[in-house]
Amino acid sequence: MKKVLALLLAMLLCLGLLAGCGGQDDGGDAGDGDGGEATGSVYYLNFKPEQDEAWQALAAAYTEESGVPVTVVTAASGNYETTLMAEMGKSEAPTLFQVNGPVGLKNWQDYCYDLSGSDIYGQLTSESFGLKGDDGSVAGIAYVVESYGLIVNKTLLSAAGYTVDDIKSFADLKRIAEDITVRSGELGFAAFSSAGMDGSSDWRFKTHLANLPIYFEYQTDGIGSTEAIKGTYLDNYRAIWDLYINNSTCAPAELSAKTGDDSRNEFLAGKAVFFQNGSWEYNNLVGEDKFSDEDLAMIPIYIGVGDEANQGLCTGTENYWCVNKEAPEENIKATLDFMNWCVTSEKGTSAMANDMGFVIPFKNAVESPNLFVKQDNEMTIAGKIPVSWNFPTMPSEEWKNVLGSALTVYAADQSDETWAGVQEAFVANWAAEYQLLNQ
Amino acid sequence: MNRSKNGIPGLGWTVFFSILSALYMYPIVMILLNSFKVETAISTSTAFQMPTGDSFAGFSNYIDAIASKGFLQSMCYSLLITITSVALILLCCSMCAWYITRVNNLLSKAVYLLCAFSMVVPFQMVMFTLSQTADRLKLNTPWNICVIYLGFGAGLAVFLFSGFMKSIPIEIEEAAMIDGCNPLQTYFKVVFPILKPTMISVGVLETMWVWNDYLLPTLVLDIKKYRTVPMLIQYFRGSYGRVEMGPMMACIVLTILPVIVIYLVGQKHIIKGVLAGAVKG
Amino acid sequence: MEKALQRWFPVFVLPTLAAFIIGFIWPFCQGLYLSFCRFTTINNASWVGIDNYINSFSDASFGDSFWFTVAFAVVSTVLINVLAFAVALALTRSIRGTNVFRTVFFMPNLIGGIVLGYIWQILINCLLSIVGQPLLNLNTPAGYWGMIILMCWQQVGYMMIIYVAGLQNVPPELVEAAQIDGATSWQTLLWVKLPMVMPSITICLFLTITNSFKLFDQNLSLTGGEPAHATEMLALNI
Repeated sequence: MKKVLALLLAMLLCLGLLAGCGGQDDGGDAGDGDGGEATGSVYYLNFKPEQDEAWQALAAAYTEESGVPVTVVTAASGNYETTLMAEMGKSEAPTLFQVNGPVGLKNWQDYCYDLSGSDIYGQLTSESFGLKGDDGSVAGIAYVVESYGLIVNKTLLSAAGYTVDDIKSFADLKRIAEDITVRSGELGFAAFSSAGMDGSSDWRFKTHLANLPIYFEYQTDGIGSTEAIKGTYLDNYRAIWDLYINNSTCAPAELSAKTGDDSRNEFLAGKAVFFQNGSWEYNNLVGEDKFSDEDLAMIPIYIGVGDEANQGLCTGTENYWCVNKEAPEENIKATLDFMNWCVTSEKGTSAMANDMGFVIPFKNAVESPNLFVKQDNEMTIAGKIPVSWNFPTMPSEEWKNVLGSALTVYAADQSDETWAGVQEAFVANWAAEYQLLNQ
Repeated sequence: MNRSKNGIPGLGWTVFFSILSALYMYPIVMILLNSFKVETAISTSTAFQMPTGDSFAGFSNYIDAIASKGFLQSMCYSLLITITSVALILLCCSMCAWYITRVNNLLSKAVYLLCAFSMVVPFQMVMFTLSQTADRLKLNTPWNICVIYLGFGAGLAVFLFSGFMKSIPIEIEEAAMIDGCNPLQTYFKVVFPILKPTMISVGVLETMWVWNDYLLPTLVLDIKKYRTVPMLIQYFRGSYGRVEMGPMMACIVLTILPVIVIYLVGQKHIIKGVLAGAVKG
Repeated sequence: MEKALQRWFPVFVLPTLAAFIIGFIWPFCQGLYLSFCRFTTINNASWVGIDNYINSFSDASFGDSFWFTVAFAVVSTVLINVLAFAVALALTRSIRGTNVFRTVFFMPNLIGGIVLGYIWQILINCLLSIVGQPLLNLNTPAGYWGMIILMCWQQVGYMMIIYVAGLQNVPPELVEAAQIDGATSWQTLLWVKLPMVMPSITICLFLTITNSFKLFDQNLSLTGGEPAHATEMLALNI
């Protein structure tokens, strides 16, 4: 009997909690609603977990300044689409979300507010940072620009007897890398950190490195996207991949057993001179017990195509802000104001540059402390032409994954037959995947 | 049996099972060890090594994990959700199961069949619609998400309870009713005590499900305000494939810890409960 | 009694039924409807008939994941039950420390979902990298067996307890009688014990099969459907 009593009590307690909190919630909602009518509110579904804290701080700062409530929610890595889908179906849907480019836009086009007349669109340094929908409206706006290339440990490079200035082309890179490999026993380090093909690292090659042959093909053909890639520069892709895997910290067959963390840790431990990655790695590489700015440099990835003397870093974006068209009028307005504030106000721009480490393509941008970003600017000023990001035009995730698998097979057994598999994954599968998604 | 005839009563088996148990526990121990390493020392090829002087990080990973992402708050939410949901499931489902086994009409059969059916439907089929329904009904806070759990967990619980219920004799209940108890009294005075072992075994199943569930809270909870612990763990993965291994391991250990402690404290009852509950199932 | 109870329907069944309708039946019907629609989110669904089904059946990866799921369900069900039964048999004998072993084997049940997957991802990747094999997301067989080991690790304990319960229910007289009649221990097992634990076997089979068909968390965190969707199971594909 005692137990029954206890249980009943517990249940009552739960019910009380339920009722109490239900009541409280109702109150809260009503309050939000009242506020909403006056000023609107912002709900931002953020994509990058690393920047979560910085966004929360910035949102709080904005709320304090303007009185507009801003909620920032970060979707867990790999779950953005699922989360967005669920959240969009809810009564308080995100007002601000992001897509990764034309391919991602296809899904969400119906939800994108036309940003063409907005203040923030006018703040862009170049119209090319707007993402155009099928109907010519501006569906998305790039809010961060990133660069990637080969990150160089300058200390190790000079220990091997070279400087960054010695590398001006693929031929130079190959010569130096192979020389380091020959002397690796005596030097105590290898040329490249392991090109891990684990899911945490393979995007560096199946997506970012694959961008180069695609970029040069688009350049040659004068196009910006295609439904069937020709694979004109696949031989160069093979050459650079060979270079990566045969001059690495580990045997090519072991690459499939390496993760992104492994690769970074090798580079941090001074076991490799080159590390292909992007400006987002800056905070992981520089700091206490790590490198200082003087130790590092980022150089373009040369693959032996085009005007290598004037090639810059790979610079672009796959992060576009979109505003939810279905949101209430006042919330759309509040969202547009918030976006504008982020990229124009002093607080907003400095938070984006310093706390998040972003380079934003807007007129009022503050210079970022990020070394790699600074280098990108210097190169652009020196007249080098940045390689644009074309991987948002890759037909699907599936295409990337198939390519990744083929690259791994090739790495374990470098023969023409296995390379034919890579070619197949690159060329034939592009057309097939494009067909499948655009039928 | 041969061995016991030879006079060494199962010594070989004991040794064998000791080794097996050690292997069985290894994954948990490994996480524990790694949670004490500094981040750069955790990589795929060194996960088996003991932390050494260089790589020993003390409790810094734990401090990071607890401090950085509102861990304690999430823990409270997770606890709240688990306790309310499991209590609700146990109470409501056992009552429901009693009713449908004792009352033999069309409705009972329909409920029973639906419950059995719901067990084979994968969550993905209903996840988006469920998240919307929950949102409309405002069942998206840690205080009342238990209603969703009750609905979604009802299938298994009702199924298991009614399986057990069929095997207990109806006479006691009838006697109680004749003595003047109404059904509610009969239920709490007679049926409930008999059900205790099944309660424990169903409770264990449901607790583990709710405590560790990731997808349902992600989609159903109002993620603007609340995060549960499994959701938190996902946040240690960055958008560029980077994983903050150290704090993540620490977080995993902290997630497992309360469960293991509860288990060790109540293990006699739990194992007995599952044993007894299972016999008749 | 049935009559008396019947009137108490609102107290006994209604709460569960209401929650069940909210939490399962209604979303399920909607989900069923959605499966005939083209949609980005639930609000803008438009009717397309059975196109989705045609697409997914003609999509090679759906067939693959279907077979993968079936293969997985069969292998893991058999393995889990055989192992659990074997352990249960051993642990119902008089061995020193049975209780400790039962506790240990039951413990993995307490760790679930995402966490479990991460633990094993790290563990298996570590093993694989030591023997120089490709990591999980490139290694279909490893992914497959990894999942199976994971499932076994998690579920053997629970099923074992159910079997132990079943075996303890076998009347000792029956076993003795069989032995007096000259049955070998194999024969006793096969013809006396096995039929007696049939109820346990049914429930174990049932639990393992449903579990393996709707495994999502473990799949997500262990392999994420890599490599090339080979390990992507049915649940993930829907």
